[in-house]
Amino acid sequence: MNARIALAALLAALLLTPACGGGAGPTAVSAPVVNNVQPVHVDLGPAGDYVNGIFTSVTICVPGTSSCQTIDNVLVDSGSVGLRLLSSLVTLPLAPSTDAGGNVIANCASFADNTYAWGPMAKASVRMAGEQAASVPIQLIGAPGVPEAPSDCSSGGTADDTVAALGATGVLGIGVFRQDCGDACARLLRPPKIYYACGASDCAVTSVPVASQLQNPVWLFAQDNNGFLLSLPAVPETGARSVAGSLVFGIGTESNNALGSAQVYTTDDVGNISTTVNGTTISGYLDSGTNSLSFLDASSIALPACPDPDSDFSCPPSTARLTAVNKGSNGVSGPVTFDVANAETLFDTGNAAFNDLGGPDTGDFDWGLPFFFARKTFVGIEGQSSPGGQGPYWAY
Amino acid sequence: VKALIAAASMMLVGTTPVWAALGKTVSSVADDQKRLGGEVHTSTVAGFAVHEISAADGTVVREYVSPAGEVFGVSWRGATPPNLVDLLGDHYAAFKEAPRPPGHRRGPLVVRTDHLVVEMGGHMRDFHGRAYLPDRLPATVSSDAVR
Repeated sequence: MNARIALAALLAALLLTPACGGGAGPTAVSAPVVNNVQPVHVDLGPAGDYVNGIFTSVTICVPGTSSCQTIDNVLVDSGSVGLRLLSSLVTLPLAPSTDAGGNVIANCASFADNTYAWGPMAKASVRMAGEQAASVPIQLIGAPGVPEAPSDCSSGGTADDTVAALGATGVLGIGVFRQDCGDACARLLRPPKIYYACGASDCAVTSVPVASQLQNPVWLFAQDNNGFLLSLPAVPETGARSVAGSLVFGIGTESNNALGSAQVYTTDDVGNISTTVNGTTISGYLDSGTNSLSFLDASSIALPACPDPDSDFSCPPSTARLTAVNKGSNGVSGPVTFDVANAETLFDTGNAAFNDLGGPDTGDFDWGLPFFFARKTFVGIEGQSSPGGQGPYWAY
Repeated sequence: VKALIAAASMMLVGTTPVWAALGKTVSSVADDQKRLGGEVHTSTVAGFAVHEISAADGTVVREYVSPAGEVFGVSWRGATPPNLVDLLGDHYAAFKEAPRPPGHRRGPLVVRTDHLVVEMGGHMRDFHGRAYLPDRLPATVSSDAVR
């Protein structure tokens, strides 16, 4: 018995010993100053039912302390800005942010699918890979202590306040802007309905200085803060169960994040480029937080919607190959060729990562996660200088 | 399913603010204007009128009114989506009841029923969408008019 326990202990010790060494490691020539590579993964996510969800781990700390917590399975979203975490998963004591009158400041994020994230602001330091941003305003989704979401925030939609509802533990918004809202929410007269000052029983739209708004953590890093690249491998046409990739912080700041031959497409002041597809020119944007390539509808292009309840996706009888042309505000343009397969056939595989999932969007061209496979996509943050010029831009 | 939707719609009639737009009369436009704190520009095209409300917060809402004075379509573009409970009015219940895909998806949303079409999308800082009543379009007007 004792011997068996001792053997088990020895075995456990061996298993727990880190695999150290493993060779000489990276050479001095290519070694970054800090580790700027943050692993990401595409899989079914913590709720087990996410298609084309891309996730990473984020470490938050009480500012100025070593009291930290790592939260896995945070959705990586290039279509929004700001770190939002389900408050039910945050064990750190983070004090809600207040205004001069002592009202709690809450943020409302609307998503395109009529869901919303509501909760108070708080400050935390944010760490990913070897990078750190010292004191970042974040959102604690669904935190108690503030009134429920005003109807102008919820718009009758569904609250993304649990892992089951969100399909993730939070959202890491790292789009092309520094803040979620910017100047519009700082003006005193009729700001957009995004920030609210909350008393004990109700909340009213308020203005918030730019520095106190939700921030893209990347631009607050001490280095590698002008943007990042998202690198995902190719996937088979029937998809993959899981895929590993990386977020590499900085653009042209280290040996592993050079623009290389990537073309820079600058965006307009709301984060759009223009996209021409099937003879129609519409707004376009790159959004890792959208599951599909969403563009036009069945009335304008021969891609029938799937039967209910999958009508947000396309179900062509056979895979369609299409080309669209993206054009930046800087006049740079170039074609992108992509496939749209039958979504129900894809879903039947049980896989999670698809490069050929399409769907309708009559207003614009939403280059969702399928775009990001088999390429490096650079996100240049507004106002930040890089070898690709000043953001906001995408490059690929 | 249709009966259920109809029942839900009827229940909603009693609780919805009277100034909801879609399916209401042209007089609701003024109420929406007041609520959005914006200016209205009205233009008449062949077969219908467009009331464009530019809200003080930058959101633009358009309301499409038939010759009979009924709002048969609405569209929007702005930093945040409009309050759909208000804008869809009595038709909000049908929107909410429409079948949704299982599992998690995040992206544009399309709802098509015989009596209501809602399409919405966009991203932070730029949301857009439209909604119309396919069986209430004026005879000479295509759904493409609702932009």
